[in-house]
Amino acid sequence: MSEVALLGNPNTGKTSLFNMLTRSYETVGNWSGVTVEKKVGVLRGRGGRIVDLPGLYSLLPLTEDESVAARFLMEESPASLLNIVDASQLERNLYLTIQLLECGRPMLIGLNMVDVARSRNITVDAALLQQELGVPVVSIVARKGTGCADVLQALGSLAQSEKSSFRIDYGPVIESSVTRMSERLNQAAETSSSNLRWTALQLLEGNEAVRSFLSGSDVLSDLDDLIEETSQQLGLTGEKSDMPTYLRKIRTERITQICAVVLDRSAQRIHTATERIDTILTHRIIGIPLFLALMFLIFKLTFDWLGSLLSDQLDGLISGTLSGWISSALDGLGASAFTHALVVDGIVGGVGGVLVFLPQICILFMLISFIEDSGYMARITLLMDRTMEAVGLSGKAFIPFIIGFGCNVPAIMAARTMEQRKDRLLTTLLVPLMSCSARLPVYALFAGVFFASDQALVVMGLYLMGMVLALALAKLFSRTLMKSEPSLFVVELPPYRMPQLLSLLRMTWEKVKGFLRKAGTIILAGSVMIWFLSNTGPSGFGVNMNDSFLASIGGALSGILTPLGFGTWQAGAALITGFMAKEVVVSTMNIIYQVPDMAGLEHQVAMAFTPLQAFSFIAFILLYIPCLATVGVIRKETSSWRWTFFSMGYSLVLAYIVAILIYQGGRLIGLT
Amino acid sequence: MLLKHGSDLPLALGHMKPGDTVELHALHCASPLLRRRLRDLGVTEGSALKVLRLGLFGGPLTFECDGQHIGIRRDEANRMEVAPL
Repeated sequence: MSEVALLGNPNTGKTSLFNMLTRSYETVGNWSGVTVEKKVGVLRGRGGRIVDLPGLYSLLPLTEDESVAARFLMEESPASLLNIVDASQLERNLYLTIQLLECGRPMLIGLNMVDVARSRNITVDAALLQQELGVPVVSIVARKGTGCADVLQALGSLAQSEKSSFRIDYGPVIESSVTRMSERLNQAAETSSSNLRWTALQLLEGNEAVRSFLSGSDVLSDLDDLIEETSQQLGLTGEKSDMPTYLRKIRTERITQICAVVLDRSAQRIHTATERIDTILTHRIIGIPLFLALMFLIFKLTFDWLGSLLSDQLDGLISGTLSGWISSALDGLGASAFTHALVVDGIVGGVGGVLVFLPQICILFMLISFIEDSGYMARITLLMDRTMEAVGLSGKAFIPFIIGFGCNVPAIMAARTMEQRKDRLLTTLLVPLMSCSARLPVYALFAGVFFASDQALVVMGLYLMGMVLALALAKLFSRTLMKSEPSLFVVELPPYRMPQLLSLLRMTWEKVKGFLRKAGTIILAGSVMIWFLSNTGPSGFGVNMNDSFLASIGGALSGILTPLGFGTWQAGAALITGFMAKEVVVSTMNIIYQVPDMAGLEHQVAMAFTPLQAFSFIAFILLYIPCLATVGVIRKETSSWRWTFFSMGYSLVLAYIVAILIYQGGRLIGLT
Repeated sequence: MLLKHGSDLPLALGHMKPGDTVELHALHCASPLLRRRLRDLGVTEGSALKVLRLGLFGGPLTFECDGQHIGIRRDEANRMEVAPL
């Protein structure tokens, strides 16, 4: 089946177009580096696969996500290329376009954001651009879907179209070298799939992805000699710059010529709205306070104003109406007492107990999506960079941190967009300290019981605590464990845009779907398991819960947990099961305390914990271990079991220290 | 040659004030990674830059180049040589 690869600079709307062309709902956002992995979809209407790739500026990759795209081009040789070009930044976008044209594959150009360009009085003549480049150009507005039908149609007729006649003359030295290298490459069978001229040029430019593709074959050493020779010859002509710079210079000259024909920027104006918003939001003094205020607003909305209201309604629905229906349905079917207890106490109690927090999770996801899509994300990195620099991190690490408030797994993957290995590793290790939405039900439950009047404040305190500890540990780890590499910070601030309601709802739904899937799988399985363990003991099934296996497992921990203030088997059991997914802590409590609804559970929890113990407990939950899925992704991204175990180990130690300080310190100053 | 302190440069981007418009003169003192990233973004010798904002306590410097807004660290800006326009 034919395969189309979607390529372009970062933040030019590749994923927006991908979603339009395939009816997928992959996450889009307004910053560079939203997509960090290739995503495959099926083209609407006409079949054929399309692959969405992380953005890149040139085929010489600088970061992990960029090398995904560069490697894809080498290894998978897609049948055709779809290059998205931002019309408002034509010059810099064309650099990649030229490298792609040299690939010699059928190619279509999607000239995107023509609306943004028009609003800045920049006009690009698509017909002339098509003439200059020798490949079809289609004007689109991917976010709104304008022109997407034309893209689909053009892709259909692309395969038959003749090859582009576009060619840059790099001067006699390079051209003769390219010819000789091509001849040498032609003798080697491995390279048959990619264009010889392109391969030679990429090697001259120093493309590591292409080099490593050829490594192992004997041609490489011959080619290296040729490259060395060419480099010397180039020097002899009086050229001062090195080869990569020289190639870039020639390409840039050609781009300037093309732009002189197709681009009219004579009446160009700057983005006034963005400029005006930025004078406030990135103001040197009020910028950070505004960011904190915005975060507080998010917690207020999630917990106080909207979330808990809706959550109470849902609780009534699940534990009252739904549970009642299921109960009478089971009675009607003549189900045994065992089945009845399993379904009502185990499954409805365990899974339903977590599902009641769906409103809070939806609201939080929606607000995070709003930040992602608005363009504020890049500004946050700018505001926080000074602080991050002080602890040895890049301001860009804040993007994974914020995504981590939703879920740690995509957050760790987002660390790929950082240029330096040290920054990536540190961020990967520290993201688990960000309170993800799975910890939210635990906070909502406990804060609702003990700190009802200022829920949002307490919860925000926990989020901030995770953040502050992450920064402190960043300082510690970068001093002790990492090579002293200065971190790099360079960020593009895209124009602000108003997120569209529909795409916001879709993005939220995609994330909520992940939560629901988890409720139907891991939380369900966990609940059933906990229910069994809480009902079976050494003497068989139906034992008193205090004699159950669950009680002995949890009880084994109670000794070491006593100094933290929650040395009960119930707390110990909840912590062990919480490793599967943090929501399971709440499921476990629901099953252990065997309560019909939220109010009942809140009452039980209030009996079992004092406020100080409760705070120590939720702080421990925040920190104690990355969940199973997060451990998996840490292993994948670091490719090291050592760092994976380190991330689990340090968080356990940290959680223990923090909880003991809270509990013992609190008691010292007379709190209960 | 890598200069340790930007103050050795005749005129550095990091010394400019918000609102100043300058021409980028030399990038060779900036760190290689940053230099490549800036080239990717179309910021090279000869580009016209307008300083927009300076972060508090030596925080990042934001500038505009060809309609795009870019933020970099102040110490890196101190290593970018500019000329008044």
